[in-house]
Amino acid sequence: MLAIAYGGYLAWTATSEFEGRRWDIPAQVYAAPLELYVGRALSAELLVGELRRLGYREDPRLVGPGTYRVGLGRIELATRGFSFAGDSEPEQLVSIAFVGGRIAALRDSAGRPTPIVRLNPLLIGSLFPSHGEDRIIVAPDEIPPLLSETLKAVEDRRFDSHFGVDPIAVARAIFVNVSAGEIREGASTLTQQLVRSYFLTNEVAWGRKLREAFMAVALELRYSKSELLHAYVNEIYLGQDGGRAIHGFGLASQFYFGKPLGELELHELALLVAIVRGPTYYEPRRHADRALERRNFVLQRMADEGLASNDEVQKAAEQRLGLADDSRRSTTHSAFLTLVRRQLSADYAREDLERTGLVVLTTLDPAVQAAAERALSEGIEALGKEDVELEGAVVVTSPHTGEVKAIVGGRNARYEGFNRALDARRQIGSLIKPAVYLTALESGRYSLASVIDDAPIVVELDRRNTWTPSNFDDQAHGLVPLVRALAESYNLATVRLGLDVGLEQIAATLQRLGLEQKPTLYPSMLLGALALTPIEVAQVYNTLANGGFRVPLRAVRSVVGEDGELLQRYELEIEQAADPGAVYALNQALVQVMERGTGRTVRRLLPADIVVAGKTGTSDDLRDSWFAGFTNENLIVAWLGADDNRPIGLTGSTGAARIWARVLSAIEANSYAAPAPDGVDETWIDYVTGAPTAARCPDAVAVPVPETDYYPRAFGCQGQTGIGARIRSWFGGDDQ
Amino acid sequence: MKRMGKSLARVALLGVCAAGAACTTLAPASRPVPTPAPRPAPPPAEDTRPSPAPLPPPSGAGSRPAPEPPRDVPAPRPQSDASGASGVLLEQSRAQRAAGSLPAARASLERALRLDPNNAALWLELGELELQTGNMSQAATMARKAMTLAGRDLRLSSRAERLLRAAE
Repeated sequence: MLAIAYGGYLAWTATSEFEGRRWDIPAQVYAAPLELYVGRALSAELLVGELRRLGYREDPRLVGPGTYRVGLGRIELATRGFSFAGDSEPEQLVSIAFVGGRIAALRDSAGRPTPIVRLNPLLIGSLFPSHGEDRIIVAPDEIPPLLSETLKAVEDRRFDSHFGVDPIAVARAIFVNVSAGEIREGASTLTQQLVRSYFLTNEVAWGRKLREAFMAVALELRYSKSELLHAYVNEIYLGQDGGRAIHGFGLASQFYFGKPLGELELHELALLVAIVRGPTYYEPRRHADRALERRNFVLQRMADEGLASNDEVQKAAEQRLGLADDSRRSTTHSAFLTLVRRQLSADYAREDLERTGLVVLTTLDPAVQAAAERALSEGIEALGKEDVELEGAVVVTSPHTGEVKAIVGGRNARYEGFNRALDARRQIGSLIKPAVYLTALESGRYSLASVIDDAPIVVELDRRNTWTPSNFDDQAHGLVPLVRALAESYNLATVRLGLDVGLEQIAATLQRLGLEQKPTLYPSMLLGALALTPIEVAQVYNTLANGGFRVPLRAVRSVVGEDGELLQRYELEIEQAADPGAVYALNQALVQVMERGTGRTVRRLLPADIVVAGKTGTSDDLRDSWFAGFTNENLIVAWLGADDNRPIGLTGSTGAARIWARVLSAIEANSYAAPAPDGVDETWIDYVTGAPTAARCPDAVAVPVPETDYYPRAFGCQGQTGIGARIRSWFGGDDQ
Repeated sequence: MKRMGKSLARVALLGVCAAGAACTTLAPASRPVPTPAPRPAPPPAEDTRPSPAPLPPPSGAGSRPAPEPPRDVPAPRPQSDASGASGVLLEQSRAQRAAGSLPAARASLERALRLDPNNAALWLELGELELQTGNMSQAATMARKAMTLAGRDLRLSSRAERLLRAAE
């Protein structure tokens, strides 16, 4: 009686688990799709790198989506289509011609020019629970018949006819294993394996075996073979990635080969079936020999059962394992995924992200991400600072849209640890100065041509304390134009200017530019006694790079629900944060930083014909090395420092600027350029003294000035005012 | 462990549905399977229907400027070579807008702006879309953004000024 009740309970448990079970499906996160169009800066090598990341296969016949072939100066590919909430891209054959690192022509299969083509977005990871299952669900019609047949051939030959357990297999397994002297075959049917995966642990015990067999029979009585097989394909455990358990063939295909299940070749499919038997024992990255041997055993079984010809099997057995690089590992994009989680946490509960099968479309540019990671680790290596544990971070954004293209949280990007790009709050040093100068320019009382005094100053803090700032070179430079004071990052001039325009106003400027916290109003704030994270710096500089328009930095474009409906779009929203004329002038000064100022050494590492804007930052005692700079298409912020905050012996220009230049040269060759807004004029001044001068003179620099201001024109080099200013500057340094 | 917990919870339920019948009325197999079927494609990029007069009527003036083909986007820009692709996306956006699909029109414009962010015409178009959806402050900001990029292009700057007036 008790046995019957218990049996009924088991049967009920098994069937209700099967019926009611909704897999916890972590949100799948995709990078931005790569857009291909004529004129885009993209070399054939970079495209091939991108295609490899996407699991494209080189195939001279271009058979099927996800293949490409390389010709002379051109690449032809058969793209995969995709569709997310109504935004779709068809599969197509395209031919891409390259000239000088750009796409020169884009044609369809009939040779007609085609304006724009998108590659399918790279799956960069999922928002799985800290220790939990991850899977990609595969629909019944997406399961390759060869997979089903091979699973049966290898794991359960009488699957189609047995009733959940297979007594013949049990007898056979005992025979085979005894004669082989090792476990070659198990006797568990696919149904039993499914039950085990649902409910039971892997301990070998007769009680468990019996319960498992009983539940398997119960499932068989209620469900069709194809329903059971479908469940099996999505349920079964196929590998481990840190705390993330890889379940189901859909995810396993992406995890091991970087492509969808339907595109697997014979040897790849055989490897996945081989792994079923023991995902740890046959882990192909760690135990390649075992995995290869077992894979070839599976291939042989396929030949024996007539699932593939001897010829095909022969060829497949000669293939290497063919594993994709590790870009599918959860740690690969962990720094970016952290930002994705943070952005989504404002709108979604953790439970929803980890369980309900959402699709998250992000702004990540995988090529930029890879380039930034390489630039940071190789750049730190090249600095040769062996005496300190040098760490770093990089943030890359698209200034006009605020989209975050890449986040590097440390020199070892694969290590899932402290994310310095988001969480290292460090003194920014001179990176604050553009806010001081912008406040001055916006006040209307200063232009870049205005002359200020870079002379020693003692600032009274309260009755007993004073602050005596100094320049980096311990010199005073006398009367200098604003443009030079900023380009050379003069501290004394900046303190004088800042005290004149007001700390309160400067703090307000920083907040307008996108800083969320309100800085403490100490005079030392003027020289960057303010601790920010690299992403906060990126937000502030993004507003400058965007001409004074603030766009909240975004990592997510949209979220699609389980059923394919659009749940949310994070739309482009902009706010005007500063006067466009003042920002335009400020950015021209930031260009001079690179041409003549503290950025000039690093500027020489870049192609001579491009224009870039940027600013160095160094904190007290050389503890932090910063650089923030931009072109029209990329804003890059780089930071170097030690986790324990000890001095690293690098300034902004000897440290972070080099990382910055490495990132920039790896990802683009475009310039910073902006049209002068209305109301802005241009005048030529002497860079050293600020005196009006003719354009042809040595040291002449064109600076934007308000149209309404009067600036005398000079026809010779260093006019009257110039000489006067220069003489004054000789004496200016001796003040006090 | 979690699963065993679930199963135990069901043991408790077992008493409730011991009669048998109730147990079978559990939810039918509703496995979350995303449909791989392709969704309807957006209007083809080659769609060159004339623009549905995207401009708000200039206040005071009775005349309305002719809709402009995308090739007309300002020439003196550093990245005019990308205007082929962004021009096609602009056309696609206009077609989607004409078909009443504003979110899709917006998405196409944002896509165009990613390729060609210094193109004042694209910001204007986005601002006009914001105006149509009643988002006045965004419309005004987009107009200002377009003005900073229009440079000496009078046609674009006056279009931006009309948008700004309509939004304010």
